Amino acid sequence: MPAINIGEVSKGTKLIFDNAPWLVLEVNYVKPGKGNAFYKMRVQNLLTRYTLEKTLRGGEKVEGADVTDTEMQYMYFDGSGYVFMDKTSFEQLTIPAKAVGDDKDFLLENMDVWVTLWNSEPISLRLPNTVTMEVDYTEPAVKGDTQSRVMKPAKLKGTGATVPVPIFVAIGDKITVNTQTREYSGRVLK
Amino acid sequence: MSEAPGPHGEAWRPSATREALRQRAELVERTRRFFADRGVLEVDTPVLQGGANLDSGVLPFRLELPGGPRFLPTSPEHPLKRLLAAGSGDVWTLAPAFRSQELGRLHSPEFRMLEWYRLGWDDTRLLDEVVALFASLTGAPAQLEVLSWREAFRRHAGIDPHSVDDQTLARVIGDDAAIVAGDRRAALDLVQVARVEPHLGIGRWTALVDYPAEASAQARLRTGEDGLQVAARFEVYRDGIELANGYHELTDAAELASRLEAELRSRSGGELHDQRFAEAMRAGLPDCAGVAVGFDRLVMLALRLPSVALTRAFAWERQ
Repeated sequence: MPAINIGEVSKGTKLIFDNAPWLVLEVNYVKPGKGNAFYKMRVQNLLTRYTLEKTLRGGEKVEGADVTDTEMQYMYFDGSGYVFMDKTSFEQLTIPAKAVGDDKDFLLENMDVWVTLWNSEPISLRLPNTVTMEVDYTEPAVKGDTQSRVMKPAKLKGTGATVPVPIFVAIGDKITVNTQTREYSGRVLK
Repeated sequence: MSEAPGPHGEAWRPSATREALRQRAELVERTRRFFADRGVLEVDTPVLQGGANLDSGVLPFRLELPGGPRFLPTSPEHPLKRLLAAGSGDVWTLAPAFRSQELGRLHSPEFRMLEWYRLGWDDTRLLDEVVALFASLTGAPAQLEVLSWREAFRRHAGIDPHSVDDQTLARVIGDDAAIVAGDRRAALDLVQVARVEPHLGIGRWTALVDYPAEASAQARLRTGEDGLQVAARFEVYRDGIELANGYHELTDAAELASRLEAELRSRSGGELHDQRFAEAMRAGLPDCAGVAVGFDRLVMLALRLPSVALTRAFAWERQ
């Protein structure tokens, strides 16, 4: 990737620092009236999701990262990785289990997700913010109690993941789950 | 991918609300009355200058035109000083100014600069007038704290900027020390923006004064309280934001020429000296004090807006 003048970096720019790709979350330009300029940035490591503050000097060049987001459909798990299909080119791509991480808990066949590629290699994926999952097993429901804050574990169909749900939820119910917080967000009425 | 600031809507729409524009127009009108009442002459200044402003850390745009390059003014300082040298008396302007590569919440490559000069005044007297104007435009009382540059560092960063050793300076800067290693001026600038400025102008106006001689720009030097040579220069802050930069102007043409020459030598952007300005300085700038104010920032403060972009009909991202 070509060097980018630091002055052209803005929110959303992807850069290479320490051999890793980073997403710029925020840039703040600061300088004393007549003096040296600094760019105070908040950046997120696209491999680890770790964020940090980084300061650069005005006039510096930085290296852009060849990072793109592509919409893909999840097909199946092949034993070592997750196989996706590019919705535009129909090409298949296998994402190693490590890059998928805990997101596997909410990854259902035929689900559309955004896959982040760095130098054409998949590094992470972004699930929809909420997904609808079916409850495969949970303790018997306490009927009528829709006010209680008491939670119980529920195993989800398709992935086998477990999330806490309110006690009125029954086996076979469809529930919505927030994929960022991994929390129950509602029940789909039949 | 960057989001244009301003009210939501398509990028052809204005950045400021109609109400913000109405209040901005009122502030311009009150500024005009302020100077009319005090007998300061309003003037217009050219936007395509024959030579470049040469302020440390401030980069001009260079335009290639038939007949030679022209430079957009980084402030209207040169034409205003030429007027003063020609005997105009007190002058002010609210002019477009341009600074390459400055963009952020408080910066825009194109902005409005309010600048004025007072004949026979020094920086102290001018500072009082600056605060009087700011108080009248923003409604905040004219309560002023005057702090030397050195004292501000002592108080807010816990170091004496004149004597601090490089190791202590690096420790105060922390993680970012590597980016300014071996460049003491830059290291102090970084401490200033990160550790000092956020504490200035909280609940009142703060003026930083007695800048070090290296940061004198076009201010004259004088002997400060502690016997050190300091610049007769002030900056005014509110809510941690720098609003104004003023000088008791340097009138020694030879000294000014040598400062500008040193600044030009440190650059590689194709800047040229502003010859007509240099001639005017040789003809003689009368004893005066002058100040430049980022007018968009002043509007931002008066209207309690979070960025300069929201004070302009069309901010940089929508120009």
